[in-house]
Amino acid sequence: MKKLLTLTAIGALLAAPSFADTLRIGAATAQTGGLAPYDAPVMEGIHIAIDEINAAGGIGGTTKIELIEKDVRSDAAQTSIAVQELVDTGISALILPCDADPALAAIGIVSSAEIPAISTCASSPTLPMIGGDYMFANFPGDNVQATVSAAWAQEQGHDTAYIIYSPDSQYTTMPLYFAEVFEKMGGTVLGQDTHSIGQQDFSAIATRIAALPEQPDVIMTSSYEPDFPSMLKALRSAGVTSQMIGSDGIDSPTTFSLGEAGEGVVFTTAGYAEDGSPLAAFNAKYKETTGSESETVFNAVGYDLIKVIEAAVLAADGSTDPKALRDAIANLENVQGATSAITYKGTDGMPVRQVSLIRVKDAGREFLGSPSPDAALIPAPRMQ
Amino acid sequence: MDIFLQQTVNALALGGTYALLALGLAVVFSIMGLINFAHGELMTIAGYVLMYCGIAGVSFVVAVPLALMASVLAAVLMERIAFRPVRNGSGATMLVTSFAVAMILQVLFQNLISTRSQPVLLPAMLSDSVHIAGMVIGVNKLAAIIATVVMLVFLDWFMKHQKTGIAMRAAAEDFAVARLMGIRANTVIAGAFALSGLLAGVAAVLWVSQRASVDPLMGFMPVLKAFIAAILGGLGSLRGAVAGGFLLGFIEIYLSAFLPPEMQEFREPIGLGIVVLVLLFRPNGLIPSATLKAEKV
Repeated sequence: MKKLLTLTAIGALLAAPSFADTLRIGAATAQTGGLAPYDAPVMEGIHIAIDEINAAGGIGGTTKIELIEKDVRSDAAQTSIAVQELVDTGISALILPCDADPALAAIGIVSSAEIPAISTCASSPTLPMIGGDYMFANFPGDNVQATVSAAWAQEQGHDTAYIIYSPDSQYTTMPLYFAEVFEKMGGTVLGQDTHSIGQQDFSAIATRIAALPEQPDVIMTSSYEPDFPSMLKALRSAGVTSQMIGSDGIDSPTTFSLGEAGEGVVFTTAGYAEDGSPLAAFNAKYKETTGSESETVFNAVGYDLIKVIEAAVLAADGSTDPKALRDAIANLENVQGATSAITYKGTDGMPVRQVSLIRVKDAGREFLGSPSPDAALIPAPRMQ
Repeated sequence: MDIFLQQTVNALALGGTYALLALGLAVVFSIMGLINFAHGELMTIAGYVLMYCGIAGVSFVVAVPLALMASVLAAVLMERIAFRPVRNGSGATMLVTSFAVAMILQVLFQNLISTRSQPVLLPAMLSDSVHIAGMVIGVNKLAAIIATVVMLVFLDWFMKHQKTGIAMRAAAEDFAVARLMGIRANTVIAGAFALSGLLAGVAAVLWVSQRASVDPLMGFMPVLKAFIAAILGGLGSLRGAVAGGFLLGFIEIYLSAFLPPEMQEFREPIGLGIVVLVLLFRPNGLIPSATLKAEKV
């Protein structure tokens, strides 16, 4: 009897179609707390992508996506609890919060369960380095963004720079990468200042910079709201007129509503919605589904993430086996997402994606290009 | 010397904002013995009113009084709904209640408005600067200093010459005796909350005019600073709160301005270290309240 059962089971397995019925994805992301401003819009994009795929019959026309969501409240401990619960439900892939720290809190569970995990939008290149084989990022790395903006500054003939960074998080130390590239390309870094995240007042720093014997051509920072507007306004009202360069964290409506102070700010981000581009198409779809305009590129970044998982399932011949999916993700090339083509092949899990340069002009976006950075200039990930 | 003066103006502006924040906490504490950690959310509410006014095209001159009214109203409602039922509870009960109020409001903002920060349209004038005696002073710095002075003068007048203000001082000194003299506890406490709401509103306008955006969690940092300033000045003492606010502002700005670059990373621990040092010598704060123990009524 037992033999018969076994034979039947084997027979059933052999006869089953190679495409599974459902792909179960777990999302342990921050819907409340300090990371919610980033994770919540990413999840919107994820839902749009999943609904689109499921409406078309699923991945490859057969595999529907089932999403199980848990709120981790922007807390590292809560992330690891939520991840353990999700792993216990038998998921094939995992989505982790936008910041490297809570994402890394889950790495022990992820590695031992051998399930591929993708952070929604963490951009620290150290994430997959520390996270190991099963950890993937979904955003242009900090070191790549800094290389693009430093090269742009040099191209514009800016020779001197000043950096303002915060040692509080990996992301806010991006200016250190900028300084490295800027000096490598022959520029001079006149000085640096640090601040803490959430610091309200930048007048002391602004006064110090205004009093420098030589004004820097550019000031680079990766601070974001609310620090960035305070910093910018303090610098401008102290009489500092240097070119400001920022990063994706300020890709937000506030940056475009600062009036005179905001004009001319240049920053790097994950994409630009040119007419006819996939991002413009995504934004139209976003408006159609939600009824409002997409406020941030992080919506599209969520769409990208599901496109990556879809491509991995297709590349693994419809398999939903986590190990097969991990190997498939690691070998993906030129997956077309909403923001850019995405390649994981040949990387350690930090994808090669397009970086766009945007300048604030007339309270809107001016597209400066999507230059491919010189690989020789990209700094090695720096452990804090 | 120029730089020193310039940094002193910066410190005055920041210290003034901290003083207003600390006063808001102290007014309520002096009467109820409650440290209202939801004070920051009153600021957030005022900030959202500024934001919606900007979207609706209401001029800033009108938006500011509306924002102040909103935070006063929210403070009074907060007292009525959340704190009155636990007024006779222990200090811990009230403290936990205030944390709960803060968290509930934060989650409501995140779910009903937006998790992302929303831009606040500000008059361009606020980003300008004026030249006074060789110094460059931002208009919002100037506004902060003027607003602080106006509020302090108003508060002094209110506490000395207004019936509610006098009643509040009496209640802070000895609530039981004050009640025997016919002062209504509800009026005094509601008055204290309204006043703290007004202070929160003014601080919010100054705070938001620097950062140009509001987000659901923006109240946390100011209430933390206010708490430090109030402790530094002497909990429950209004003059102490002002002194503590200014001292904290001066410590932060001077450290940020004159600490050598390689020490800048340790600016905050050094600043808090100075606060601890002050408290070692004056354990009850700079200007302690005459009656440290708030009574229950």
